[in-house]
Amino acid sequence: MKVLVTGAGGFLGFHVVERLLAHGYTDIRCFLRERAKAERLLEMSQLYPGSQLELCYGNLRAKSDCVRAIADVSLVFHLAAGLKGSPAELFADSVVVSRNLLEALETRDGFPAQKTRVVLVSSFGVYGVVPLGRGARIDERTPLEDHPELRDTYSHSKLRQEQLFWEYRQKAGFELVVLRPGVIYGPGGGAFSSRVGLQIGPVFFHLGGSNLLPLAYVVNCAEAIVVAGTHPESAGQAYNVHDDDLPTASRYLREYKRHVKRIRSIRLPYFMTRMLAWALERYHRRSQGQLPAIITRYKAAAAWGGNTFSNAKLRALGWRPLVATSDAMPATFEYLKQQDQRQ
Amino acid sequence: MGLKIAIVGCGKIADAHVEEIKKIPSVQLGAVCDLEPIMAEQLAARYGVPCWYCDVASMLEVEKPDVLHITTPPQSHLSLTRQAVAAGCHIFLEKPVALRHCDAEAIIGTAIGAGRKLTVNYWPRFEAPALELRRLYETGVLGIPVHVESFLGYDLGGEYGTALKRDPEHWVHRLPGKLFQNVLDHVLNKITPFLDDEEPFIQAVAYRGNAGGGESRSGELLDELRVIIRGAQVSAYATFSAHARPVGQTLRVYGTKNTAHVDFMVRTVALERKQTFPSALGRLFPPFLVAKDYLRQGLRNVNSFSHARFHFFDGLRRLLNEFYLCIEKDSPPPIAYGEILRVSAMMERILEQVYPEVFV
Repeated sequence: MKVLVTGAGGFLGFHVVERLLAHGYTDIRCFLRERAKAERLLEMSQLYPGSQLELCYGNLRAKSDCVRAIADVSLVFHLAAGLKGSPAELFADSVVVSRNLLEALETRDGFPAQKTRVVLVSSFGVYGVVPLGRGARIDERTPLEDHPELRDTYSHSKLRQEQLFWEYRQKAGFELVVLRPGVIYGPGGGAFSSRVGLQIGPVFFHLGGSNLLPLAYVVNCAEAIVVAGTHPESAGQAYNVHDDDLPTASRYLREYKRHVKRIRSIRLPYFMTRMLAWALERYHRRSQGQLPAIITRYKAAAAWGGNTFSNAKLRALGWRPLVATSDAMPATFEYLKQQDQRQ
Repeated sequence: MGLKIAIVGCGKIADAHVEEIKKIPSVQLGAVCDLEPIMAEQLAARYGVPCWYCDVASMLEVEKPDVLHITTPPQSHLSLTRQAVAAGCHIFLEKPVALRHCDAEAIIGTAIGAGRKLTVNYWPRFEAPALELRRLYETGVLGIPVHVESFLGYDLGGEYGTALKRDPEHWVHRLPGKLFQNVLDHVLNKITPFLDDEEPFIQAVAYRGNAGGGESRSGELLDELRVIIRGAQVSAYATFSAHARPVGQTLRVYGTKNTAHVDFMVRTVALERKQTFPSALGRLFPPFLVAKDYLRQGLRNVNSFSHARFHFFDGLRRLLNEFYLCIEKDSPPPIAYGEILRVSAMMERILEQVYPEVFV
């Protein structure tokens, strides 16, 4: 079985390829944008005798590259997405590339889409958590966001991307499995999710407080993607992905300060965050956008509303974290410390 | 009911157009359009634009806008202008005007021929410091301009630069004049108000920057440009740099009476005055006078901020206001067509020297 992994050169992509090899999938086409990312993949594949990594370079914004990427594959892991940049860039890199890939799949010669399984890595950001109120439990039955335009552009683009996959599944008839990871972290990743807080100038505003942080260690997340993506009963299903023993945002920040470096932080309780958001919204509206509305009441409720999370559906498939949070956090902080010292 | 506006091209810069259009209460943004439906849809969704299209002909037919903002890459500007003007629209055009000077002439000729107004998004020219400079010039404070230095910095690690570097198929890579063709308007359009020669002497040199050693940040792309321009009365230096820090945007106008230094990023204008005191005293006072200018400008900026007039694209809003007003009053557009063409001609002559194999 030939497997395609888009975004194989990325933070998560590398580990998904590794986990696929570990699960015995040896014929993998790695779709990469940058040639520089290939060396690490090839090095890693040496650990798996008999593995065949096919490196495929290109940009999924180009339809011809999508046709090349999708040819002859029966299992697709679509990880490529825009993570930063302008809103137009995020939509182009997440939604337009997805549409190009799905069109290439739908119109592929000689290998019908119906015989293909597509695994999409979506996001927790697609859930419409705000109407549920403070502290609501988020599982796969939680409705999708009704007002993505009120959220951050990343969540908006990820929601549109996921909707597109469900639409094309109806049309083209392929099997679809959707994974919705929380905060993916680990060596090679960033230090803070906005669920912990925001760095504004020299000060880190700690807004997450005692909320649970839906962390997904990158290796555990990759394992979840492979387990759910290849499970015979997962077709047509969506799965939350986060680790078992979740820390609170304040514990994460405390450990970061202890193991990586001291940073100046100010903790804002939720009601103050809401008040600040209200003031910022009001100023943003009155000044016609002179300062960006980085925090609004809606965004605050979505990010810092104190939700709890469930990965029970994923666990029911047999997934278990490979690395416990008690080991994953120190490994991440060690990496972040080295990065900081290097800088 | 005021003017009805539509936009074609829903990439990054379209956000700025939408935001500034929405600040003008007398006009109404009716629709946006992009060949890529997802891009049109996302722009409409994020800003609450009532309609979106992926076919410009349909949009023009159904929406019947008074003004079309063309924010597509320049390859399509001529054909879109023709289409829009035929539908009765006035045109607000994103820079660069066109791929070649002859196309720029055709675009302006099309608008004039149909009795429609057209202007180009030279927004820094309408920023507060640029208007202050214009006042200094027009009231004779500078005297007669002798020399102008226009500098534009660029951050290849920034939002626009990253998009360019990550995507080898980015439309800027497909411009015959590459990165320079996308940015030179903003270097040259600040010089042309002072240098009105039709065919000045131009000497350009371009190279890949390697400041501090190591690999160039832009790969094969030329990213440093120096240009000497000499007209009959006024000379100019035009500089583009992707490596100098901070990433600035400045203009220095040397006059026969005084010299003005404009910083578009921090929005200041400082006047370097002729010494009036003799000997050592003449060297003692000028720094205080310049400091006074900066203090005054700083306070003016605080005042602008407190009155919510300190947006990044404030110049664009001002330019749009003037353009829409010229349509309503049937008065001349805010930027003279001759000046747009002089910028375009100058740009082509610079790019001929930088990329002679393409610009033959």
